[in-house]
Amino acid sequence: MRLAAGTLPAIDRARNGTGPAAQSGPAADPTAPGPAADPTAPGPAAHAGPPAHAGPAAQSGPPAHAGPPAQSGPPAHAGPPADPTARGSASEPSLLPAVRPPEALYIHVPFCVSLCPYCDFVVVAGAATRGPRNRVTAFLAALRRELDLRADLADARWGTPGSLSRPPLGSLYFGGGTPSLLPGDEIAGIVEIVRLRFGLASGAEVTVESNPGPDERGDARALADAGVTRISFGAQALDDDTLRSLGRRHRARDVREAITDAREAGIASVSLDLLYDTPGGTLQAWVGTLDSALSLAPDHLSLYALTLDDPDAEGLTGPTGDHLPVARGARRWRADARARQDDDRAAAMYEHAVHRLAEAGFHGYEISNWALPGHESRHNLAYWERRPYEAVGPGAHAFDGAARRWNAARLDSYIAALTSPPGVSAQLPPGGTEAINPEASAAERIILGLRTSHGVSLSESTRQPLSDHFSWARDADLLSVTADDRIVLTTKGRLLSNELFSRLV
Amino acid sequence: MSIPQARLRNFSIIAHIDHGKSTLADRLLEATHAIDPRQMTSQVLDSMDLEREKGITIKARAVRLEYTANDGLVYGLNLIDTPGHVDFSYEVSRSLQACEGAILVVDAAQGIEAQTLANVHLALREGLTIVPVLNKIDLPSAQPDVVMEELESVLAIPREEVILASAKEGIGISEILEAIVARIPAPKGDPSLPLQALVFDSHYDQYKGVIVYVRLAQGTLRDHDRVRLMQSGAEADLLELGFFRPALVPVAEIHAGDVGYVATGLKNVREAQVGDTITSAVSPASEPLPGYQEAKSLVFAGIYPLSGEDYPLLRDAIEKLHLNDASFTYEPESSVALGFGFRCGFLGLLHMEIVQERLEREFNLDLIASAPSVEYQVVMTHGRGSITIDNPAHLPTISEIEAILEPWVLLSVVTPSTYIGPLMELSTNRRGSFIGLEYIDPVRVLMKFELPLAELIVDYFDQLKTRTAGYASMDYEEIGYRAANLVKLDVMVAGEPVDALSMIVHRDKSVAIGRTLAERLKQLIPRQMFEVPIQAAIGSNVIARESVRAMRKNVVAKCYGGDITRKRKLLEKQKEGKRRMKRVGSVEIPQEAFLAMLRTDEN
Ligand SMILES: Nc1nc2c(ncn2[C@@H]2O[C@H](COP(=O)(O)OP(=O)(O)O)[C@@H](O)[C@H]2O)c(=O)[nH]1
Repeated sequence: MRLAAGTLPAIDRARNGTGPAAQSGPAADPTAPGPAADPTAPGPAAHAGPPAHAGPAAQSGPPAHAGPPAQSGPPAHAGPPADPTARGSASEPSLLPAVRPPEALYIHVPFCVSLCPYCDFVVVAGAATRGPRNRVTAFLAALRRELDLRADLADARWGTPGSLSRPPLGSLYFGGGTPSLLPGDEIAGIVEIVRLRFGLASGAEVTVESNPGPDERGDARALADAGVTRISFGAQALDDDTLRSLGRRHRARDVREAITDAREAGIASVSLDLLYDTPGGTLQAWVGTLDSALSLAPDHLSLYALTLDDPDAEGLTGPTGDHLPVARGARRWRADARARQDDDRAAAMYEHAVHRLAEAGFHGYEISNWALPGHESRHNLAYWERRPYEAVGPGAHAFDGAARRWNAARLDSYIAALTSPPGVSAQLPPGGTEAINPEASAAERIILGLRTSHGVSLSESTRQPLSDHFSWARDADLLSVTADDRIVLTTKGRLLSNELFSRLV
Repeated sequence: MSIPQARLRNFSIIAHIDHGKSTLADRLLEATHAIDPRQMTSQVLDSMDLEREKGITIKARAVRLEYTANDGLVYGLNLIDTPGHVDFSYEVSRSLQACEGAILVVDAAQGIEAQTLANVHLALREGLTIVPVLNKIDLPSAQPDVVMEELESVLAIPREEVILASAKEGIGISEILEAIVARIPAPKGDPSLPLQALVFDSHYDQYKGVIVYVRLAQGTLRDHDRVRLMQSGAEADLLELGFFRPALVPVAEIHAGDVGYVATGLKNVREAQVGDTITSAVSPASEPLPGYQEAKSLVFAGIYPLSGEDYPLLRDAIEKLHLNDASFTYEPESSVALGFGFRCGFLGLLHMEIVQERLEREFNLDLIASAPSVEYQVVMTHGRGSITIDNPAHLPTISEIEAILEPWVLLSVVTPSTYIGPLMELSTNRRGSFIGLEYIDPVRVLMKFELPLAELIVDYFDQLKTRTAGYASMDYEEIGYRAANLVKLDVMVAGEPVDALSMIVHRDKSVAIGRTLAERLKQLIPRQMFEVPIQAAIGSNVIARESVRAMRKNVVAKCYGGDITRKRKLLEKQKEGKRRMKRVGSVEIPQEAFLAMLRTDEN
């Protein structure tokens, strides 16, 4: 797993005298950077500006496979040029687990104005978000600290951004929570830190998740000025009754206004999240919802079957778990809602979406995601292509090509670890890691690959773990093979994908 | 230390479940320093994990206590444990045969229950001296006077003999120990005669081979003796003998009248069976002890490995487990639906559950059990005699059958008199007939019914508890076979007959049962990727149809950075769930489906 010393890039900054050991455990002392790293202080010239990466290297990345062949959008550079030895081949992600530098960065902002009863993400709300005792300022300080510490580790491991073995990030993603609640200048500040410490490729995708309500969506212009290129709106529904029943604060008309604002501010890509199989929903209403959504002319749609899990039962809510315990009210809401869900109805809704969105020119490039050509979420593609990504904030997950690492969900312990009294070095927050063994890695690669419309290479049909199940799945009409020899899920296969995937793990 | 025969006492504790037998046993062990109280995990005698979990004693165990009595002498007390569930009365009587006395524990707040009566009758049949103990007198709800009255009127136990105790608080423990010494007779048997040692239990030890529990009728066992098992003819040099205290403590000799263990090094099940007699190979006794009646299996089911290739492992496991539990029977069988497995006979449903669970846990196997059945006698036409079947799939065609006989039981139920009505109704629903009723105290009655055993094994006990708010207790004994108008109900899943789901049912109830079964299977068989029709039929006559609709959706909606590990675990869980199902034709059927008719949800 560790690179041999000889392959380590030269460390060019004295303050990064740290070894790579901290990579695998959050407990490791990240050996505090000496002179307090003021992120706004001009850094060494080498990474002050965006590295000129879009040159020849871009062609060596994977082909623009996510969209339809005649892709007209920005170059599909989701993988910025990387150390060629770290990749299995140009067209397929690595076969063997190997540690690689991050190509994307996820920032978790855990604040919402109020909690939605179905939501599983790490979120705090109410007084923690607004009012005199809010935790936003403390969180932002801690977040900057974590960015610095993680950047120090990356520097030590891969060299500074811009060096040959440390490509700049192709994507930055603010997820939540409701990151649009953060003031525009705070977002701008963080983008700047990221640019400085991790590098941001020119034309990089910078996404902010947003709620459409007037007091939640923030100032689109400020976001655009901060470098944000994409806004993903959590619309969830487009009629007021459903929105209310889901515990959402905004109204249907807010969605239209939010999109108009974003367009006027020059945001290049606008996405909407919608939920189906909601309690009381009907196929007819869903047909209407999709039509309304299309009338808003988004560039991207994420359609999620309402999923009501129980992170407590899954054992994810302990002190180092990546989820928060489910509140009692939410638990009751979920039990009631679950009883009013229906797989048959959900399947019909999904099938309708497949047809309707194709008709409207959208490409279903992943089980739950549709985009107009060139508007595929590069950040999310990085997850599905198993490219390495860094992550900061409570509950955030990172992947380095060989192991998954996460921060614990609890905001207080997150802030406490990263807020050090003068003279004491800050700690990385609590959390955990999981090494992905070669079998799990192989299974993940197939599963994540099949989730996308790009599928996997036909050669996988003769290789484990797919080989044992390929003809069964094909006979059952779950899989088909495209003209260019890719194995992909059929629509039925998407709806029943777990039937295949559970055989592969 | 060798204790003279006159100072040996062999006894059991008998009690209705939860009246405090295990707790009292712990107190006796503690009081005689058999174990250090600090090291004591609660209820030492229940040494199997499964026993702890289910809170019952499954296997008889014997522990040697050394007690210095008020007379200053050291007595050897052999406590022979007995199982506490109705299904195991056969094992109770086997243990009692190794004793001269029994401590009868009765809960002072509950009074006499059905098993109290059954166990006392077993003990009296063996001619044992009974030491009555009223336990839990610390409870505010204890009614010692009422219960002593019951003991006197129902069991003719004089109140002067009753010891008041609280096993929990340690009250009455020394009185009990003194009563064991004073009231229970010492065993008899001449230590100088040729050896006769009755094997009353056994278990298999990985290191020492078969360990048998013996009670010496006469003669003396000595370390390194060469012994012979009189029925199997096997011979062995004794590796070790000793007492359970409760750890194995080796000794050099065991004398007539005493109880102990013998490690034989024998590896073969059949060479040291329960009921066999150990004698000396050099100067053998002229004949073996009478031994035991074979355990009578009442409930039968096929046990199959989930994956066919595990069959040899299952065979080994069953043979090994049989060493520890000779009270189940097994023989190879094959099923069209389930492949190769074993037809096993059990003392009851709980026993079946325990055997299946032990096979799975102790031998790391994934198993599936077919629908349980009782044993039927089938009289054939044209004077071709009669056959016995324990598998409904083997019922001959109707034209060959003159008559079918099924086993009946006499059921004793002790219940508060307010529940007489509901219990009458329950038994009538189950084709039972009411035999009689007597009051054991002003508010409680003992009711007797005769009932087909097949109706009893189908959730009768659960129903009894439900209808009496948990207050009723029951016990049963077999009373022979009776003819009935019975037919075979077959089940087809996705067009294929599933023999392991066949049942023999009464003709009058067959349509109702067929419908219920089909409905329950519809609930229990998970949706598959195609529609699965379910049919119940009698002969070629389909009496119920249901269908499990095709699964339309099984998909993870969101799969982003933090979800990947979580969703992989979810998929692993789904895979494990699938692995726990048996593939019959193209359909995956879970274990619960085969036990569909045992579930309680009677209207
Ligand atoms: N209050 C009280 N509870 C007791 C006494 N003896 C046993 N128990 C409780 O009664 C329950 C059943 O006891 P146990 O020994 O397991 O009963 P068994 O099923 O007969 O072995 C347990 O919860 C015991 O703690 C006693 O003397 N007083």
